[in-house]
Amino acid sequence: MHKVLNNKLAIFLFVFPGILLFALTFLAPIILSGYYSFRDTLAPGTNSTFIGLGNYTELLFHDSRFWLSLRNAVLLGLGFIIIQHPIAIFFAVMLDRIGGKAEKWFRTIFFIPSVISVVVISKMWLSLLDPTFGVFNKLLDSVGLGALKHAWLGDSSTALVSMLVILIWAGFGWGLLFYYAGVKGIPEDLYEAASLDGASGFKLHLRITVPLLMPVITVQITLAMITALKQMEMVFLTTNGGPGDSTQFLAVYLYNKAFSASQYGYANAISILFIAVCLLFTYLSNKLTRSDATEY
Amino acid sequence: MNKGLLSGRNALLAGALAATAVLSACGNDNSSNQAASEGNNTPAAGGDQVTLRVFSNLPDRKSGQGLAEQMVIDNYTKENPNVKIELETLAEEPFKNKLKAYMASNEPIDVTMVHGGAELNTLVQAGYVKELDPAEYAGEEFSFLPGVYTSFTFNDKLYGLPRNSDYEVIYYNKRLFEENNIKVPTTYAELIEAGKQFRAKGIEPMSINGKDLWSFGAFFQDLVIRVGGDQNLMLDAVAKKKDFTTDDTFKKAAELLGEARDSGLFQASYMTSDYGASQNLFTQERAAMWYMGSWEAGMATNENLPQTFRDNVAVLKFPVVEGGKGKDTDLLAWNGGGYSLVNSSKHPEEAKKFFDYLMSANQWAKSVWDIGAAVPAQTYQLNGNESSLQKELTEVLTGATSTAGSLGLDYGTPKFKDDAQNLFGKFFAGGSTTEQLLSDLQSAAASQ
Repeated sequence: MHKVLNNKLAIFLFVFPGILLFALTFLAPIILSGYYSFRDTLAPGTNSTFIGLGNYTELLFHDSRFWLSLRNAVLLGLGFIIIQHPIAIFFAVMLDRIGGKAEKWFRTIFFIPSVISVVVISKMWLSLLDPTFGVFNKLLDSVGLGALKHAWLGDSSTALVSMLVILIWAGFGWGLLFYYAGVKGIPEDLYEAASLDGASGFKLHLRITVPLLMPVITVQITLAMITALKQMEMVFLTTNGGPGDSTQFLAVYLYNKAFSASQYGYANAISILFIAVCLLFTYLSNKLTRSDATEY
Repeated sequence: MNKGLLSGRNALLAGALAATAVLSACGNDNSSNQAASEGNNTPAAGGDQVTLRVFSNLPDRKSGQGLAEQMVIDNYTKENPNVKIELETLAEEPFKNKLKAYMASNEPIDVTMVHGGAELNTLVQAGYVKELDPAEYAGEEFSFLPGVYTSFTFNDKLYGLPRNSDYEVIYYNKRLFEENNIKVPTTYAELIEAGKQFRAKGIEPMSINGKDLWSFGAFFQDLVIRVGGDQNLMLDAVAKKKDFTTDDTFKKAAELLGEARDSGLFQASYMTSDYGASQNLFTQERAAMWYMGSWEAGMATNENLPQTFRDNVAVLKFPVVEGGKGKDTDLLAWNGGGYSLVNSSKHPEEAKKFFDYLMSANQWAKSVWDIGAAVPAQTYQLNGNESSLQKELTEVLTGATSTAGSLGLDYGTPKFKDDAQNLFGKFFAGGSTTEQLLSDLQSAAASQ
């Protein structure tokens, strides 16, 4: 075995397929994207002209829709981190405490939204929030709050908030699963020792659960930001960025520019900035949440 | 452009009348189709086995235009046993997007559905679709109405053939109007008033596919035509020959558009309703009207829809505007959908044969009319079994005194279409005023 690993040809043979795959499916598209982002073109294969940084200056300095979609993505990411994750951690701990059959049962219930097709979920929320026959408005009516009835996704003043609630709800199962696995990995005797020392309730979790979950939290924050930036399917299927541009997200905007507006070069410039923003957020979230590995 | 379609209508009428006699001799069964088409196609016996790929935007194969398309495909494969047709269908918006993905990867589709105007222009510029020779399609075998190639012609070259005469109408539910004692509107003020009355009774007045955005553009163009009485005004503005901000007609039309928005004419969920959702609302009799095109003639014969709805669906011309110069016979009509041959086809000859067969008057045009799914772009034969909806739609077309030739949104580049659609979306979401809408439209036209 040792001999084989010293053989340069063997190393090459083992590593090359992986590198080739990576280059073809990951590097090449990015390089091509970079190439097209400097050109004005309708689609690959059509006539194109080199326009230098034209697409980028237009995007960064004249395109308010780009900044709006970026802002919405950041808001969604913060929504994940500030609203979804604490709730997910809370339920992960509760699930762990509850034990027995109830634990399995609730675990399944919480995860159901994550296994249902995005299309189904989108249609379901469109129906739930429909101003005419939606259950949500009917509920408001039945408890005497009829005055609050609304076209939740169809009105630019409430569309973004509704969209964020849906997305936070839909991603909850995954968030919970990660934290639940993290909580399960914390040895029980740590809690017992802390209890003996007099810690209890919330303090117990603040001092033991949260620090020991830190590596999971770090990964989750990074994933949350990237998920928010990549948000596409649900928005596309429910509002398609509208009404107006109130629920415009970066990936949807990119898609519409490439396929509806046939501004392929411009869309590629968006995609390059998109990669840059994703890398920046990954770097920042790693930096901000970095802590020495906690050991037990 | 207008003249072309005008004479087209005469041809249509003449064709319709004359052909009734011809057809009565032929009958309507499949054997007549076969007999007629065998003369036009080279015999297929002994030919190599070929699989043709066809891409279409008609996923419903059991009713409407999807059924018509399927009938033609079945006829063709029956007559040409060596040809297998591999069909791929997607709903409207996903279809458009996937077609562009196919274009980008030069996917070897043989025949594809295309949308004339801006959409097709992109395919043409990418060299994805084949140029056609108009002379080949001039004869009686095809009987295209004059002037129908406009949206398929770029730099005087033809790249596709239209399948329908498309025009915007208002479908309405007679029962809902009668039971609620509301006057069927003939003027815009009456339309707005009817909207208020329906809303007061808890019925959605008019359904529209706001999420798809393009209907707003058509509605605006209809208003421009009614206010100014000029079919070319909107197209000229898109082509930068007129200005959206300085012409009073646009100002008035935008104000009327705002009235529709503010008076609650459209269903409460109009900004999140896509095509299917807006149609469901109307066909389930929860909305009194539906702003849509003539291609929905098949609703009256679609057995999946409630009988009460099918008995009560009728057509209304876009109402006149008080003080406007336009008449209710000025029709927002164009040729939107059609078919093209794809350059990267692996079986160009077989593909052309099928394409010609599909477009011959006794195939697509006949099938689509016979089942009442749409109004063809070719002279068609009345078969005596037309639904009242079809007859009303025919009357709207044959009674038109002028036609637009193109949808304003499709008249510019795809970028203009996307920008303009989003501007209408912004306007309808309450994010802009009439002045802003017009100045934004002007910038969109200028920067396309």
